[in-house]
Amino acid sequence: MITLNKREELEWHEGLTVQDILKQKTFTYPHIIVSINGAVIDHDAYAETLIPDEADVRVIHLIAGG
Amino acid sequence: MKVLAYDAQKCTGARECEVTCAQTWFKVQDVAKSSIRISVKDDGFAAQFCIQCGKCIEVCPTEALYYNKQGIVLLKKDLCVGCMSCVGFCPYGVMYFAPEEALAFKCVACGQCVKACPQEALKIVELDEASTDVWNLRF
Amino acid sequence: MTNKIIRHVLAEFPYQTPRIERGYANQTLYVNVGTGEIKAKPVSDEMKLKFTGGKGFDLWLLWHAVHDDTKWDSPENEIVISTGPCGGITQYPGSGKSLVTTVSPTTEIITDSNAGGHFGPLLKFSGWDAIEVQGIAEKDVMVIVDAIEGKVTIEEMPDAPNDTHLLGRWLYDVLAEKPQEKYYIAMVSAGTGAEHSLLGCLNFSLYDRKRQDVRYKQAARGGPGTVLRQKHIKALVVRAQPFKGDANHPADMERIARVGADIQREIATWDSVQNRMRNRGTSYLVEIMSDYDLLPVNNFKFGSHPQARDINGAYWETRVTQGLPDGCWYGCTVACAHAVDGFELQTGPYKGHKVIVDGPEYETIGAIGSTCGIFDPDAILELNFYCDTYGIDTISYGNTISFLMECYEVGILDQEKTGGLELTFGNAAASLEILHQLARGEGLGKIAALGVRKAKTYVIEHYGADPQFVQDIGMENKGMEYSMYMGKESLAQQGGYALTNKGPQHDEAWLIFMDQVNNQIPTFEDKAEALHYFPMWRTWFGLCGFCKLPWNDVVDPKNSKSAEPAKIPHHVQNYVDIFSAVTGREVDINEIIAMSERVYNFQRVFNIRLGKGLREHDYPPYRGVGPVTEEEYESRRERYDQQLREWLGLDPDAMTLQEKMAAHRHYRTERYERLMDAVYERRGWTRNGVPTVEKLKALGIDFPEVLAVVEKKLRAED
Repeated sequence: MITLNKREELEWHEGLTVQDILKQKTFTYPHIIVSINGAVIDHDAYAETLIPDEADVRVIHLIAGG
Repeated sequence: MKVLAYDAQKCTGARECEVTCAQTWFKVQDVAKSSIRISVKDDGFAAQFCIQCGKCIEVCPTEALYYNKQGIVLLKKDLCVGCMSCVGFCPYGVMYFAPEEALAFKCVACGQCVKACPQEALKIVELDEASTDVWNLRF
Repeated sequence: MTNKIIRHVLAEFPYQTPRIERGYANQTLYVNVGTGEIKAKPVSDEMKLKFTGGKGFDLWLLWHAVHDDTKWDSPENEIVISTGPCGGITQYPGSGKSLVTTVSPTTEIITDSNAGGHFGPLLKFSGWDAIEVQGIAEKDVMVIVDAIEGKVTIEEMPDAPNDTHLLGRWLYDVLAEKPQEKYYIAMVSAGTGAEHSLLGCLNFSLYDRKRQDVRYKQAARGGPGTVLRQKHIKALVVRAQPFKGDANHPADMERIARVGADIQREIATWDSVQNRMRNRGTSYLVEIMSDYDLLPVNNFKFGSHPQARDINGAYWETRVTQGLPDGCWYGCTVACAHAVDGFELQTGPYKGHKVIVDGPEYETIGAIGSTCGIFDPDAILELNFYCDTYGIDTISYGNTISFLMECYEVGILDQEKTGGLELTFGNAAASLEILHQLARGEGLGKIAALGVRKAKTYVIEHYGADPQFVQDIGMENKGMEYSMYMGKESLAQQGGYALTNKGPQHDEAWLIFMDQVNNQIPTFEDKAEALHYFPMWRTWFGLCGFCKLPWNDVVDPKNSKSAEPAKIPHHVQNYVDIFSAVTGREVDINEIIAMSERVYNFQRVFNIRLGKGLREHDYPPYRGVGPVTEEEYESRRERYDQQLREWLGLDPDAMTLQEKMAAHRHYRTERYERLMDAVYERRGWTRNGVPTVEKLKALGIDFPEVLAVVEKKLRAED
């Protein structure tokens, strides 16, 4: 299990990447900040960054709406 | 098209071009008013100046920028409203802004720096199309 | 052409344009189209200090113009327009906004709305920080501020067309003695729709040099176009002198240029890989909102639709003309003001004409598109064009049609009542027909012309509709129709919409991601803090002449490493720099918030003075809070059932659908009450939503007439 945004529990599996989570949650908004256990992940590293089990994952969407 | 060209091998960093440009167009010695900027590199010197690519013409909302018959991008001062679109969108960072006049300025290949350079490292050349090759041309 | 045009001058006021100093002309223009009185009013230092400009100036002038019982159509009601001290700066993108205020025909309180276009900046460069127009003319008139001739006139021009796209071309031809003079002309107009409807918008023009045609941006919320036409004003016009990039004579041009160069490079670097505003404008939001269940579909019943991709940003990128500098004011390289060129109209009085369609913007696509179940881009363009030229607010119109569509689908309306129209969701032809009826003042168009709140009353009184159901589904608060975001799963956004001064427009706060997705503001106190900070921060743009988009729609990724990324600190600093550099008044973020708090609280008191602005006016319709119908519940049953388990410890499997819906309703409405308490407390208001005397004193807006309004209300509460 991993925790998403301090609220939601998501299944964990070996090889789970940041990109997998974004796809699963349909997080398509481009202005986001992803962190795993407090460490910010670079935008271009989402596909290869593995998420460890029990991780505290935050996907912070920056504000929108003019 | 007519465009300024620079031979890095000849340049000794005298910076006469910067002073001459500022003096010619703004009547000041301040090189922040020069449209050509010389920088020091590990292996010598480099120059930045407009290659007349015309990208700024596309982003200008007042049609103040245009190509003249010789292929040089010029600014109609009476149409410029100082909006800096061209400054931010110049791919090479060689469009400048003069706050006290609220006007953009750039190299117009006038050739004054060519005359001023003691090493003959600058030259006005004719090209078929705009190219960054002019920043390091052997002549 | 000029010689043949009849110009009957009713009143004339000569003036000399003063030098603009540090963003201010230091005078405002008063025009009474009823009496013909025209005069200049000085701007005091206190006015600048306490009300800044823009909406602040508007409200201060309007406060002194109206009475406690002024209605939207009273002669003393005014349309007031001001840009603000930074308005007209060309070195920072999004610095040409105009703010309009008036007593609204739909909300019957103060409405404020903003638009791009050139009117506000050119008005200031012509010597006026604001224009207030009072009175009702006998026949249609123009108000012309002519800085070249040095006079302000009220004129009858009987040959002038009415609908904006014709009027603009006509007027620019009449007023420009040489073609280049068109660059410096701007006008504010409405159209035939605004004459027959409460949903009238104002079109703010700009001359597009590349297209060699007049373009328009809209200040639409709350019906200011209706007020314009009720005053028998066809257009407010400014004919300015050519100007330079330092026309505001700022205190520190070098500082402005430094910040300007930074933001221009940031946009040049990042926009193309982020929202691509330069290629498609705000329409990029359509698919994203659909992905997050936030795109209103079928009168806000649903939040997504597979056909959203037919009208998403990628589609509009192929449709709007590319490669043009589509800023609505000079220097705006966010350039969201795109247009479809050469669009051939299929319906209405201009059928067969090829026209420019400005936009479509996200809100318009949502309102006349998805929330009406319409996903046909050509229909959206046609509706958009006609709304604009008729002078109709697309957001209010779309909401009203979607409300009527739902009334039709549940049987409140039938074909007899619609004049034969099959008014189901998705029927674009019906929406277009009603729009043309509205402009003619006929048929079902007369009900659509009322807006959602008054249409509710109409169907209750005339067709026996269930008042509770109608109240639940009609997407309005305070009489203003909702902008295009679903707030059902974000309590903070429910407040962001309804705990507002003018009504549910998201210009005060857009908190859905922070709240619903990011879980960054979980407690009532957190939400209340956000509903303090963001409305104040966002109000400030409208005091200065700024657009909000360059603040948050293109951002260097370095922002993600900042302490509070949602606030975009490096852009906040840009605004601190620009304001300080223009006015010479050195500010920080705290002073920015304080500037807004003064104006925000003043507007709240103004609404109380007009008999509203209290807790009872701050409730959203339940459609904006939770599932009204079984169909809505079922569409998200998994989510709602899970919430019953997690939030309320209930077992949905042991409950009927009605019980489940009732449990949700009880829980959600009770939480909204608690949010109100927390927000009012944070804002320094009583539980009834009244600013306290202490708060007004602390803000320095304890003018006797302001205190009198509040003290009277507080005495009544005791």
